[in-house]
Amino acid sequence: MKYVGKKILTMCLTLLLVSFLVFLCFTVIPGDPALAKLGTEATPERVEALRKEMGLDRPFMVRYGDWLISFIQGDMGKSYSYSLPVKQMLADKVPITVTMSVMSILIIIFVSIPLGLYVAKREGGVADRVIYAVNQVIMAVPPFFAGILITLLFGIVLKLFMPGGYVSYTQSITGFLGYMIFPSIAIALPKISMTVKLLRSGLVGEKKKDYVRTAYSRGNNTKGVLYKHILKNAMLPVVTFLGMTFTDIIAGSIIVEQVFSIPGIGRILMTSISNRDYPVVMAVIVSLAATVIVINGLVDLIYQWIDPRIRLEEQS
Amino acid sequence: MMKKKRNDILVTGSILTSVMLLMILVGLFFLPYDPETMNIDLKFAGISWRHPFGCDNYGRDIFTRVMVGAKTTLLVAVGTVGIGAGAGVLIGAFTGYFGGWIDEVLMRVIDALFAFPSILLALVVVSLFDSEKNQVLSLLFGSGKYQVIIALGIAFIPSFARVVRSEYLKQREMDYVKNAKIMGCGHLRIMFVHILPNILSVLVPTLMIGFNNAVLAEAGMSYLGIGVQPPDASL
Amino acid sequence: MKRKALSALLMVVLSLALTLSGCAGKRQGESTGSQITIGIPQDVEDSLDPHKAVAAGTEEVFFNIFEGLVKPDRDGNLNPAVASDYKVSEDKKTYTFILREGVKFHDGSLVTVEDVRYSIERCADTSEGAPLVAAFANIVSINTPDEKTIEIVLAESNADFLAAMDTAIIPASNETPDTVAIGTGPYKFVSHAPQESFVMKKFEEYWGEKAHIDNVILKVCANADSIVMNLNGGAIDMYARLTSTQASQLNGQFEVLEGTMNLVQALYLNHAVEPFNNEKVRQALCYGVDKQYLLDMTSDGHGTPVGSSMFPAFGKYYMPQLADYYTKDVEKAKQLLKEAGYPNGFTFTIKVPSNYAPHVETAQVLAEELKAIGVTAKIELIEWETWVSDVYSGRKFEGTVVGLDASSLTASSMLIRFTSDSSKNFINYSNPEYDTVYAKAETSIDEEERTKAFKECQQILTKTAANVYIQDMAEFVALNKKYAGYEFYPLYVQDYSKLYIVE
Repeated sequence: MKYVGKKILTMCLTLLLVSFLVFLCFTVIPGDPALAKLGTEATPERVEALRKEMGLDRPFMVRYGDWLISFIQGDMGKSYSYSLPVKQMLADKVPITVTMSVMSILIIIFVSIPLGLYVAKREGGVADRVIYAVNQVIMAVPPFFAGILITLLFGIVLKLFMPGGYVSYTQSITGFLGYMIFPSIAIALPKISMTVKLLRSGLVGEKKKDYVRTAYSRGNNTKGVLYKHILKNAMLPVVTFLGMTFTDIIAGSIIVEQVFSIPGIGRILMTSISNRDYPVVMAVIVSLAATVIVINGLVDLIYQWIDPRIRLEEQS
Repeated sequence: MMKKKRNDILVTGSILTSVMLLMILVGLFFLPYDPETMNIDLKFAGISWRHPFGCDNYGRDIFTRVMVGAKTTLLVAVGTVGIGAGAGVLIGAFTGYFGGWIDEVLMRVIDALFAFPSILLALVVVSLFDSEKNQVLSLLFGSGKYQVIIALGIAFIPSFARVVRSEYLKQREMDYVKNAKIMGCGHLRIMFVHILPNILSVLVPTLMIGFNNAVLAEAGMSYLGIGVQPPDASL
Repeated sequence: MKRKALSALLMVVLSLALTLSGCAGKRQGESTGSQITIGIPQDVEDSLDPHKAVAAGTEEVFFNIFEGLVKPDRDGNLNPAVASDYKVSEDKKTYTFILREGVKFHDGSLVTVEDVRYSIERCADTSEGAPLVAAFANIVSINTPDEKTIEIVLAESNADFLAAMDTAIIPASNETPDTVAIGTGPYKFVSHAPQESFVMKKFEEYWGEKAHIDNVILKVCANADSIVMNLNGGAIDMYARLTSTQASQLNGQFEVLEGTMNLVQALYLNHAVEPFNNEKVRQALCYGVDKQYLLDMTSDGHGTPVGSSMFPAFGKYYMPQLADYYTKDVEKAKQLLKEAGYPNGFTFTIKVPSNYAPHVETAQVLAEELKAIGVTAKIELIEWETWVSDVYSGRKFEGTVVGLDASSLTASSMLIRFTSDSSKNFINYSNPEYDTVYAKAETSIDEEERTKAFKECQQILTKTAANVYIQDMAEFVALNKKYAGYEFYPLYVQDYSKLYIVE
């Protein structure tokens, strides 16, 4: 219990740090929300009036304090550019990005673990070498290009989906899920290669260890040893990698959302950064950070579950 | 049997790598064409003996630009991994070795950095390291390039730090570390002379994946419009 | 066993994926009736308040929802809209409008003179420092002698005042104009999901020629690479402002219409910094550039070279002959640089907003061309918002390539920015002669005299090489052949009401 309490406390502190850093960024990067909004039609008077309306005329610490207090009270403020409550805006977008992330992580797990086991078992065989070569190629493809290739193949040639024809989940759940499969594949593809590579080398390495020989000598069959003993041990680096991948997907959905014209969190983040729409940026980044931290915590727990030798409380 | 196959992969990899390196090396001294000179008659020219990869929308020889771009990309990858791994190893070593409050504080900063979108980071870096004010950096890397390198480098710190930290956590409990302590070695000596060589087997693959990711990340940044400045080429 | 279970699971996932993707192939159906899906480059990132919205992307959409007393047509004339008629006094100081009978707002209520007064007063309000519509600062009084007449009295005579009267008329009863859009236009607002879609529906009780297509769905297609794919794949039916390269990649389903962007693309130079405070240097740059070569390079020759701050759609004000004032002459350029004290040329930085690919391309070709006269131009890509704050507002730059358009079809909207004390004069152009001629044009009531003075302004800009003028860019509109009726306007607007479905 003490451990959980401490974790939550440090998590809150991290979030505080993130929010402060982001707030600080806005004072550093060029561009002003009022100017960004008014564009070339700006006159000094109108900019001044708008800055006042947005509350930008107050000192930095006062603004941050204000933001923090209202955020703790659950108020994320109002978007500068859309004049909409940030909460409402994000509530519509979160399901999109979460669906995409979950779908791609599922694809990664269901494809790479069987594949990893398969190649490890046939180490040195034709399949192993072919998959190795394919993996190397896939890993070298940038995500946006993978997205374009997938759009070309599944969208234009096979006509399985309509490029850019994003269907909102409010209209049709099946249509939405059907569209989201393809960006999820685009995200999953390079990660699958990495996971297979990691898992394969892990499995091959573990195979030579003493406990495996012991297990065999005790009369276990190959499959039993492979699944029960080796896999569990070889999963450790894979779990770390998957944990990082998950956060990577959420934080890095910007590019794939751009390629597939998906109006998710990444897109909102990108446009609000360029519009200097600070309330939205703050809300998105703090929520992203919270997700990342929670997932990192979960990864730690899974670690402990897989390998009880790792004691987490140890370092207090 | 197995040994032979391993070598296949090694040989293929080495050949590909040396071809790329050779191309970059040659590109330093000799380029078939000027990478920036435009030629209206060669706009979108197809593949020919004179232009093995054809020409781009300005009639510039694509093969030449690939040679130049490979250099840029290599520079970005090396720079990024250099910054990321350098800082990552330091942070990971200290947090993993000492633990305690240093670990807590630094890892929270790392968490924060991890959650930080690299786009925003890039914008901050671009504005902090204005090319006009940083002649030295511009000369070193070329203007517009080093900003990408710094931004990506910072974005790469967390992943290195995490890997290194977990290795140090494991290693510090090992007997050889304890022995070194008993023998009176300083902490710094233990960290970097004793432990570091022992984690290379983990660090080196991470570095390699880091190179790969750096190249991809640079491509992604260019795609989003925050990449290397024209007319510089990048792959 | 386990492997079988896994492969079974894989099969299930795969087949699910395939069934689901079958559903995704269908077009999203918003509601009943005919519809068109149009791609837009940036979202309507604004409030729904037409008076406060400023982004060009918002204004082009709002053109279909809101109307003023007068409304521009595709030839640039101002036609009566919410007003049925107007009179302008001899001294250009009193503008009288007669309200059109039976014009309804989208909520069904009739437009009254009080709504008109409310809308104008709202935009003339100076409590925030400056009025929302700059020209309204000139208003002395708004009179409504009867239920059909609105009389606007100005402090000083202004022949261009009518152009400002396209300001949207909104109902005084709408308390939240920033989230509820009520206008009088041919389309009414239905919904807006940020970064996703902006939906409009035909307004059945429109006073004029009603729209043909029932539903218009605007979708944001921000990414240049996906636009062509989205068009060819059928996700969007129309996209305005394509580049010539994109247009050439479209398949046979599309009609590509060519128009003009209606802006002046130029290498704008900051006259407050060395060496651009020297007229000879600026002229040298002008002599160093071959406009037609540049067009051939960037857009296969499409576009119209211009020589001053005015584009062809301006008709009587536009002077085509200025485009040839400087023709490429490397020797002359070098000579001028020598006279200016730069025999070995110099180095400067061109800042370009990275989101405008055509400007980036132009800058690249320009830099290449200027090498011939010994001038090295470094290109720095910056974000649009950084451009607005640093280059435009902060005036911290040496050169920049952008396109400047007109907020209304008045010569002053293009030319006022070069008067010494204009807040829009981001290039720091300062020329007493220009100021005098401009003031003469601005205040003159005689039409002929005005036109002459405005033309003189343009000539001065060309002669002093205020900027390296390049072109009015070509605009390509892709329209699926199922639709027709697209019309080009000389302003930055899109008129969706004229589109119809081909039987």
